[in-house]
Amino acid sequence: MEILNYTFMQRALVAGTLIGVLCAVMGVYVVLRGLSFIGAGIAHASFGGVAIGFATGVNPVWTAVIFCLGVGWSIGLLSRKGRVKEDTAVGIFFASTMALGILLIGLMKGYNQDLFGYLFGSILAVTRQDLWIILAVGLGILAVVVLFFKELLFVTFDPEMAQVGGLPAEKLYFLLLSLVALTVVISIKVVGIVLVSALLITPAAAAHQWSESFRSMMALGIFFALVSTVGGLFLSYWLDTASGATIVLLSTLIFFASAVFSPRRRRRKVSVASS
Amino acid sequence: MVKKTEDYIIEMENVSFSFGNLPVLDRVFFQVRRGEFLGLLGPNGSGKTTLIKCILGLVRPDEGTVRIFGKAPWDLNDDRHRIGYVPQLISVDLTFPLRAKEAVLMGRYARIGMLRRPKGSDREAARIAMERVGIADLADRPLARLSGGQRQRVFLARALANEPEILFLDEPTTSVDPTTTESFYELLGGLHREGMTIILVSHDVGVVASHVDGVACLNRGLVGHGRPEEVLGSEEMARMYGCDAVVFHHGRLPHIVVKRNDHGDS
Repeated sequence: MEILNYTFMQRALVAGTLIGVLCAVMGVYVVLRGLSFIGAGIAHASFGGVAIGFATGVNPVWTAVIFCLGVGWSIGLLSRKGRVKEDTAVGIFFASTMALGILLIGLMKGYNQDLFGYLFGSILAVTRQDLWIILAVGLGILAVVVLFFKELLFVTFDPEMAQVGGLPAEKLYFLLLSLVALTVVISIKVVGIVLVSALLITPAAAAHQWSESFRSMMALGIFFALVSTVGGLFLSYWLDTASGATIVLLSTLIFFASAVFSPRRRRRKVSVASS
Repeated sequence: MVKKTEDYIIEMENVSFSFGNLPVLDRVFFQVRRGEFLGLLGPNGSGKTTLIKCILGLVRPDEGTVRIFGKAPWDLNDDRHRIGYVPQLISVDLTFPLRAKEAVLMGRYARIGMLRRPKGSDREAARIAMERVGIADLADRPLARLSGGQRQRVFLARALANEPEILFLDEPTTSVDPTTTESFYELLGGLHREGMTIILVSHDVGVVASHVDGVACLNRGLVGHGRPEEVLGSEEMARMYGCDAVVFHHGRLPHIVVKRNDHGDS
């Protein structure tokens, strides 16, 4: 395969693999804890964060990290204190952060080609520096997940019971939001703001269809994500299609195949018939 | 008040709580003795769950004092492990990919402590708890493939795995069939005879009254607290439930003593 000789393709494969693993792992928590909409909201908020980076001349990854953490925590705080419902809080930030980004771009002179890359992803334009950032932040996220594995599992499954037992359920919830925010930010260069939430949700949701234990859901989610990113990358090269979109559509295909063919679905049919 | 801690495992004095402008608990005085099997009864929306949440430290009352093991619920530290809690079944995601033994082991997580892995002794405690409630053979079964009654036992085992001294159960037999409910209460009776303090929240007067040795009836304020036959035949209870016949639809057991408004005793 001569395409593997290209540096840009090698980098894209490494980036796709790292992002795939990371999104699948965090996606398991997102899907099981019902954080899909928050994940999508944070992804869109990163547009505002990236625009701040372009406006100030700072590397957009760092401004997006700070901005997304702030938005994630704000959504959590607003809904926790009972002021508004969680989905309302997401809806407010979803729109306003995008608007902030558009406003900032408007103030900058001329159209910025780089910003388009953040919106729709440009996995083939991943730089060496991008890779190092993805690797460093990604390993950090995975280390936290491993360290707090049982605590994150407990608050995801049953936050109230975790709190009764004495775990700091609230802090762990914010830790989870932070990890999701960081995952989103380092993924946007690869699949883009618009599509990152799909990579966060879809492989884990597909794995959910097949899994009867938490670990198997995580392992299968990683497998599906890798098939999507690596497979989607090759497909987009051969078919000459947009890489981010191809990756996401491939993962969606896996999800629908899982929903149709998984034993969980067959079992549900049986139980409906017998009741 | 200071000396009572030996006799009473839970003490509530003058506790009031409201969600915004909506009063949920109104000047509640409430005590539970060590070793008591208490049914906390009341219609839907009477504040039963909130009362339990106050004792567990999940919500803080606006007024009054709450003590469990002689301490404030939010100041328990390691005494938390002495509490077992079985939440309402409906609050649990049944599609969560988890095997029964993994769910039970969670009962040990807080005791194990942060950044540590479960040890052999934790798995052993989980296994013993599953045996005690009769689900040892279901250890590897995922939650999604358990019946309502089996799932309820998984959550009871999860609470027991932590070796608690007091057990709270919130509507444990909602959506469980009568036979299963009966054997579940027999299981609780057995735990009670071994010395466990049990507080059971329910709106199902008939079923609860025949198993517990004390009932407390709540309708924002406490309207009665004593032996089942004393409390349940009282005027307050009849007034509290009014002519609402919800209770009587469950009337599979002969013990129901609550007065119905027009038709006398049922």
